[in-house]
Amino acid sequence: METGSAAVDDDGPQRLGLLASALAGRTVAVASGDRGEPAWTDGITVFVDAGECPLRQLESVTVQASLLAGGGLEPDVVRKLVRRPALAKRYLAVEGHRALAAIEELLPYPVRPLIDLDLATRADSPAMSLAVAGGQKIADPPPSFGVIKARNLLASHPSAQQSDMGGTHDPRRKSAKELPELEDADVGAESDVMDPFSSPVGGGGAAGNLLQRLMSRVRQLSGGGSPGADTPTHRSHSGIRGAGMVTSTSAPPSEIDDAGDSEGKGRKYPEWDVHRMRYRHDWCTVHEIDPPQQHGHPFGRPDVHALRRPLTRLGIGLDRCHRQTQGDDIDIDAAVEAQVEMLAGSAPDEAVYLDSLRRRRDLAVLVLLDVSGSSSEAGTFGQTVHEQQRAAAAALTVALHELGDRVALYAYQSQGRSAVHMMPVKRFDDSLDALAMQRLGSLTPGAYSRLGAAIRHGASVITEKAGTSRRLLVVLSDGLAYDHGYERDYGAADARRALGEARRQGIGCLCLTIGAGTDTGELRRVFGSAAHASIPKPRQLPDVIGPLFRAALRSADLRRKVSQ
Amino acid sequence: MPVKPPRPYYVPVANEEQVFKAAYRQGLSVALKGPTGCGKTRFVEAMAHDLDRQLVTVSCHDDLTTADLVGRFLLRGGDTEWVDGPLTRAVRDGAICYLDEVVEARQDTTVVLHPLADHRRQLPIERLGVTLDAAPGFCLVVSYNPGYQSVLKDLKDSTRQRMVAIDFGFPTPEVEEKILVNEAGIGHERAAELVRLGQAIRRLETGGLREVASTRVLIAAGQLIAEGLNPRDAARAAIAGPLTDDSTVTRGLVEMIDVYLADEAITD
Repeated sequence: METGSAAVDDDGPQRLGLLASALAGRTVAVASGDRGEPAWTDGITVFVDAGECPLRQLESVTVQASLLAGGGLEPDVVRKLVRRPALAKRYLAVEGHRALAAIEELLPYPVRPLIDLDLATRADSPAMSLAVAGGQKIADPPPSFGVIKARNLLASHPSAQQSDMGGTHDPRRKSAKELPELEDADVGAESDVMDPFSSPVGGGGAAGNLLQRLMSRVRQLSGGGSPGADTPTHRSHSGIRGAGMVTSTSAPPSEIDDAGDSEGKGRKYPEWDVHRMRYRHDWCTVHEIDPPQQHGHPFGRPDVHALRRPLTRLGIGLDRCHRQTQGDDIDIDAAVEAQVEMLAGSAPDEAVYLDSLRRRRDLAVLVLLDVSGSSSEAGTFGQTVHEQQRAAAAALTVALHELGDRVALYAYQSQGRSAVHMMPVKRFDDSLDALAMQRLGSLTPGAYSRLGAAIRHGASVITEKAGTSRRLLVVLSDGLAYDHGYERDYGAADARRALGEARRQGIGCLCLTIGAGTDTGELRRVFGSAAHASIPKPRQLPDVIGPLFRAALRSADLRRKVSQ
Repeated sequence: MPVKPPRPYYVPVANEEQVFKAAYRQGLSVALKGPTGCGKTRFVEAMAHDLDRQLVTVSCHDDLTTADLVGRFLLRGGDTEWVDGPLTRAVRDGAICYLDEVVEARQDTTVVLHPLADHRRQLPIERLGVTLDAAPGFCLVVSYNPGYQSVLKDLKDSTRQRMVAIDFGFPTPEVEEKILVNEAGIGHERAAELVRLGQAIRRLETGGLREVASTRVLIAAGQLIAEGLNPRDAARAAIAGPLTDDSTVTRGLVEMIDVYLADEAITD
C-alpha cells in the first residue's frame, strides 16, 4: 500500500491508532490535529498534523505513545508542568528519549534513530526526567516529538477514571481546540488560578456533581409526592442534559414533543391508558435513527468468556437420540430389528446406535439499552450507570453473537410520545464489527424514556426480523423513567401491558439493572420478580443470566404452545 | 528396527523440560497452560521423543464423550465388537496420552480421567466391567489456554489438583527469533523484524483481537517469506488475515505491518 504524502481523510493519521495502542499498552486513538500544530495527546487520543509526511506522523505517534507507556504523562508529573512551557519542553526532551529507550525493542526500525541514548540514560523514571529537565540546560526536542499539553492531559484525566471511553470525551476535545491559544498566552498570568479538576469543561467537577445530585433527587422525589407532581415536564431540559456531563452537540438531534415532521414517518404504536382502561391508538411514534457516529471512541472488546458458559447451555440440552449411524452405545431395539430384517433376507438398517446429540441453536435476543438521562448518574462503583449498562450490553451481545445466536442491540430514549427514538447499534443482520462497537461507544445518555413504546417496537422488530421460534427481549434499564405525559403509575401500567402483549406472542421478556443505586422495586413489579435482576457490577452478569434467561424462555415456550 | 526420527525442534524457555521429565518418572499427570500457538503441542512431541514413548493425541471438542475416549461396542454382522478408544489404547500400551484443549470437553467426560490422573493410575471401563491398570510408561498430559479466563474455573478443581502444571508463555524475543530462523528458514534480521511486530501486536489488549499473534503465525509468515513473498504481503496473509475478520482492525494491523516490516528485501 502506498501511503501518499498528501494524506486524505481516509488515509489520515487515524490509521496509526492500532500502532499507538500497541506501543502505549492501552487503547489510544489517533486523530488529525490542527494544521501546523505540533503533535500532542490528551491521554486518550494522540493528535498529529495530517499534513505532515508519513514518517513524521509515525515518529510523533511513536513518541507520544511511548510517553503514555512510560508513565511520563501521569497527573502527578504533569501537574508540575502546567503553565511552565519551557520546563515542559525540556522535560519532553528528556522523558521522550527515556520512554523511547524503555520500549526500544518494540519500536519499528524507521523510528529507532530518534533515540538519543545520551539523554535517555540520564533518567530512569518520569520523576527523574523532571529533575533533570529542571536542573540542566537541555536542547529542544526534535520537532517530531510534538508538545506536552499539561492542562489538556489533566482535564481529561479524572474523566478517564470516571467515565472510561464513552461519548463524554468529545466535548473535551472540542474545548481542547481553544486551549492551545490560551496556553502560551497565560504563562505569566499567575493570578489565573484555575483548578482543572473542578472545571465544568472537565465535567467531573463540582458543577457536574451538583447537577448529578440534583438529578438523583428528582428520581427519589416521586416516592412521597402525589402522582404526576414530579413529572419531568416541569424540569428544564438543560438540567437533565447537563447531568449527563455532555453537551448536546454529541446527543442525537433533540426534538420537542410535537416535532413530528422529522425525517421518515416512524411507526405508530398504541399506548395503554390505565386511567381510562383502554388503549390510545397510534399514540406513540417510534423513529429508528442511527446513533451518532463519532470517531475516536474505541470501545474495547468485552470479556465474554465468563458469560459464555451460562449462555451456551441455554436451550441446547443433550438429547439421547435413537437409531443413529454412530454413537456411544448400541440401540438394542434397532439392533434386534436389524437382525430380524437381515435374517428375513432384506437389507438391514445400519443405524443401530444411541448417541447424545446437541440440538441446533434456535434463539434470537434483542437487547434494549436505556440511554435516558438518568443513566448518566454515578453508579455504585465510580462508573456511571450508563457505562456499566453499556458494558453489560456489549458483553451480552458479543457472547450471544459468538455462540451463533441471532442478536440485535437497540438503544432507546424519548422526548415525548411523538419522538421515541430507537437507535440500532446492531440490527439482527448487521455484523458485529468495530463499527458497531463504535456506535455503542458513541451513545450518550440524555432525555427521557418511554418503556412501553420501546418494548412494543422491540417486540415487532423481533417478530419481523428474528426468524427463530425462541425469542428473548432483554431490557437494560436503571429504573422506570418518565416522559412527557408518562408518569410513574401510568408508565408502569403501560409497560406491564406492553410486556403482556410481547409475552403473548411468545417472546420472553426480562430486565437487568446494573450498578444503579436507585430503587428498582418498580421495575421488578413491572417485569415480575422472576424476570428482573439487579446487580451491582457487570462482572456479576454470568451468575444471574442463566436462571433469568432460562425462566423467561420457559414461560415463553409455554405460552407459545398454548397459543398455537 | 526403524530409524528414530529426528527430535522435533523445541527450544526450552525455562525449566519445563526438567519438570516434565521428573513428573513423568514419578507417574504424575501434567497440565500445560498457555496461549494458542506458543508451542505446547511441540513440547509434548519433543518430550515423547526424548522419553521414547508413543504419543496419542486427542483434540478435545465440546461433543467429546466418555465413549470417544474410552471405547465403544460396534455391531459387526450379528456380533458386538469392542473397539478401544485412544485413551484406553494409551493406557494399555503405556503411551503418553495428550488431551489438547481439554476444557473444551464436557465436564462429565473429564471425570473419567480422575482415577487415571491420581495415584491409582487405573481406567475403569464401565461397559466392559473391567478396570485397567495403566501400563508402565503411561502418562496423561492435558493442555488448555488460560487466556479464556473463565476456563480456569471450568476445569474442575478435583481435576486440576490431580495435575502438575507447567506454564507456557510466548518465548523471549531472542528465543523466538531463533525459532523463526530455524522453523521458517529465514535470515536473522528478517526474523527480528517479525518478532518485533509480534511483540507489538501482543501489547494490544483490547484492539478487537481475540487472540494475539502467536509464534505459530509468525512462523507461517516467515515460511511465506522464505518462499519468496514480499514480507508485507506475507505478514498480511499469515498474521493480519488469521487474527481478525474485522475490516477496521485489519486496516490497523496492515498499517502496523507496513511500519514494522521493510518493503525492500534486507540483504540476508
